[in-house]
Amino acid sequence: MAALSPLSVALLVAVTVGLAAAILAWRERPEPGATWLAVLLAGQVWWATFLVFELEATTLPAKALWYDVQWVGVVAIPVGWLFFALAYTGYDRYVTPFSVALVSVVPAATVAVAAAGDPGNLLAVDRVVRETAVGTFLGVVPGPLYYVIAGYTYLLGAVGSVPLIQLIRDDARPFRGQSAALLVGTAAPWAGNLAHLSGAVPIPGLDPTPLAFAVSGVAYLLALSRFRLLTLAPAPRRRARQLVFEQLHDPVFVVGTEGLLVDLNECAAETFGIDRRDAIGEPAATVVPKYDAIRELDGADADKPRPIPIVGRDGQRPYEATVRDVIDDHDRTTARVITFHDVGVYLGQQQRLNVLNRVFRHDVRTETNLIQGYAEQLRSDPTDERALSVIEESAERMLELSERTRTAGELFDPTEESETAPLTDAVDEAVAEARAVAPDARIEVGQVAPVPVPDVLAVVLGNLCTNAVGHNDAATPWMRIDAAVADGWVEVTVADDGPGIDPAEYDVLDRGTETPLRHGSGIGLWIVKWGVDHLGGRISFDEREPTGTVVTVCVPVDRSETPGAGPDGEPPDPHLDDPAPSDESGSLGPPPNAGR
Amino acid sequence: MANEPTKPSAPDGTTAQYRSQSTPPDSGAVRRVAAFAAGAPFTALVAAVEVAVVTVALGVPRSAAPVAVGLIAFAVYAADHVADAEGDVSSTPSRARIALRYGDQLMTAAAVSYGLAVALAVGAGPAALALALVPGAVWVGYATGRPAAAGDLAAPLGTVSVPRLKDVFLLNSAAVAIAWAVAVVAAPLAFTGVTLEAVGAPTVALLFAYVAVRSFVDVEVPNVRDVAADAARGTATLPVVYGTAGTRRILLGVDAVAAGLLGAVAAIDAVPRPVLAALAAGLAVSVAVTALADRLGGAALGVAPDCSYLVAGAVLLAIGG
Repeated sequence: MAALSPLSVALLVAVTVGLAAAILAWRERPEPGATWLAVLLAGQVWWATFLVFELEATTLPAKALWYDVQWVGVVAIPVGWLFFALAYTGYDRYVTPFSVALVSVVPAATVAVAAAGDPGNLLAVDRVVRETAVGTFLGVVPGPLYYVIAGYTYLLGAVGSVPLIQLIRDDARPFRGQSAALLVGTAAPWAGNLAHLSGAVPIPGLDPTPLAFAVSGVAYLLALSRFRLLTLAPAPRRRARQLVFEQLHDPVFVVGTEGLLVDLNECAAETFGIDRRDAIGEPAATVVPKYDAIRELDGADADKPRPIPIVGRDGQRPYEATVRDVIDDHDRTTARVITFHDVGVYLGQQQRLNVLNRVFRHDVRTETNLIQGYAEQLRSDPTDERALSVIEESAERMLELSERTRTAGELFDPTEESETAPLTDAVDEAVAEARAVAPDARIEVGQVAPVPVPDVLAVVLGNLCTNAVGHNDAATPWMRIDAAVADGWVEVTVADDGPGIDPAEYDVLDRGTETPLRHGSGIGLWIVKWGVDHLGGRISFDEREPTGTVVTVCVPVDRSETPGAGPDGEPPDPHLDDPAPSDESGSLGPPPNAGR
Repeated sequence: MANEPTKPSAPDGTTAQYRSQSTPPDSGAVRRVAAFAAGAPFTALVAAVEVAVVTVALGVPRSAAPVAVGLIAFAVYAADHVADAEGDVSSTPSRARIALRYGDQLMTAAAVSYGLAVALAVGAGPAALALALVPGAVWVGYATGRPAAAGDLAAPLGTVSVPRLKDVFLLNSAAVAIAWAVAVVAAPLAFTGVTLEAVGAPTVALLFAYVAVRSFVDVEVPNVRDVAADAARGTATLPVVYGTAGTRRILLGVDAVAAGLLGAVAAIDAVPRPVLAALAAGLAVSVAVTALADRLGGAALGVAPDCSYLVAGAVLLAIGG
């Protein structure tokens, strides 16, 4: 074996490290980018290998043959680099058979020209043997196709570098190290080729690009072993972040600076019944629920979000909306992200805690004081029938309070599956409870459709009916219950001829919180409100002439449906005292009524 | 676990973690090194010596062939040990433990080793490169499942099952033996650029047959050690099919064939006398190992057959000058 030229020895180093890195990359398949990195490194090894053969060949035809064979490796490198960078950084949707075929057209044409013997001198206008101190190689005067493929290589290299450069600025140190090593591995051959094209190489005609592959190989080996390239690839992050956006249980909208909808997640589409393909590009005001109200939040009140009632798939739910600006690298706001968080459960829990606190702090204490006082009186006068009667009544109220408290606890137990029952059964059950409270009451039942409703509605109606006849000072209490069904909503009306409900009770329900000075009496109305809220419905109170109250409850027929999906899904306006104001109307249409 | 309480492990209440270490050097490290050396490095050494002996036998100039073949052998066997580490736990526990613990490092070493071998082959010319790339191509093929896919295509709609090569009785050992023979005999020619005609086709053919036959014995002898594991896996080997005694008789017969081939080499005076003597010494070692196959321990049986080449190399060095 003849002694190798210094250039060949240097190239063998590039072959060694390049092939080792290629094997390790190939071993990591199917990690993102592994196959394409192996292709890139194999291209480098191929180029260096056949350059050695060219250097060691002794005749011009032999050198020309090995020179032409090198083109396979030369053109494989930029293709491998581009698709490696895309797959490795998570842009794998651009790595398709079609895109690979498209990108490979120019490289394949180049190889075909080389294989055909370079007809028309497209690749090399002239070829001469150059004898130098470092080796004897083929000096080539480039043809037009040479410059085309060179430019194409630089183009693919630049495109592939973009996502990797982004990683250098990443917070995660391993990815910074990986991308830095990869860019060094890529920049070294580029620098060599630029030096060749610009004539900066001291040995005329020598293209040092393959020599720089030794640097590339070491950089890639370092990235593979030290920085765990491929075993710790950033590719999943892009998908994961997209997945979080898509799978978030809160509706999210992205609105551009021009007020047009840019994106929305799956939850937003489902909750508010929006067709994503149709919605994107539309004015946000026509798609995003309560958009005008939310825009106002994007100011001084942004830190104090207040619940906004919006009708959606689960009926009317209170949402807290947060608005966050999307800022680019130049501190420019490019979009705003609006997130809706359903706070119904949280508000219900807060209210129940608040009310139960009041029950123990006020109601139970009052009754206990009463019992204690009259018990003292009984001690001094055991024949005091009135004292005994008061104690019995007080104990009965406490028992009733206890029962209702238990009902409230059981009603909203999150571990319990919600069941459905026909509306007729719910009405019958409520009427039966009312008759038990006031056997002499006149109770009228209107037409009731047998639609399925959640069984929570039976508890709501039971409380309303017992209140209607129980807190009624008429000689013969009267009440009437009617139920109408329209557009997937059930509207139940309970009317009585009692003294009416104290406005203070409405006020407390409206505010949603009680204070030591402003609170309701008992928890019956609270149970009604919580039940209606739980069902995604609403409740309203009207005075009745000449006396009495009309309570209207509006709830979805079936919670699995999306009654608020569009104008057709709007609950009927139950002619109440507070018609739907426009500022409470989301893009899905106005709510049934404001209620109290 | 960070929050797990540390239990005192000594009467003084201290734990091993905090006590000063005054124990003697870990003899386990020595065992691990020995177990590692007895694996791929030993195989690489044997391969290099084998190629060196054949180089002298063929009468071709010295070249990088022994080094290149040794590096390829190391790469192939190291990668194989890593790939089969879990399955080797029962038969070669020490080697399997090393492969499992240092799998990434071994694979890196294997990759660099193969890269170096290919670089040496590139320096030697296209023929040497082609020879060096065969193991890599086969590895890539198996890694991508190409042979299995080809088998599926060959089987007409599943009516005929195409078994894997390694599951076919005798063919497995024969394939390995032929692969070794090709590498060992062709490498000296390819790395020096000496043609078949220049050496003489009969000489090359006889040496090829000799190396193939001897390699077959070297592959089958360790199967005596693995007979229980192979039987449990359903892998048909000579010891599984014919028992230990039957295997010994068969392999002694194969050694007799090798002796015949050596006689033929001597008859046509194809190789120098010192080489003939060295090969004869190696064959004698092989016969001895085969005869003692059921008496040697598992570790010894794993390396003893290949030692015949080391003996041949030593004899050649001693008498060949």
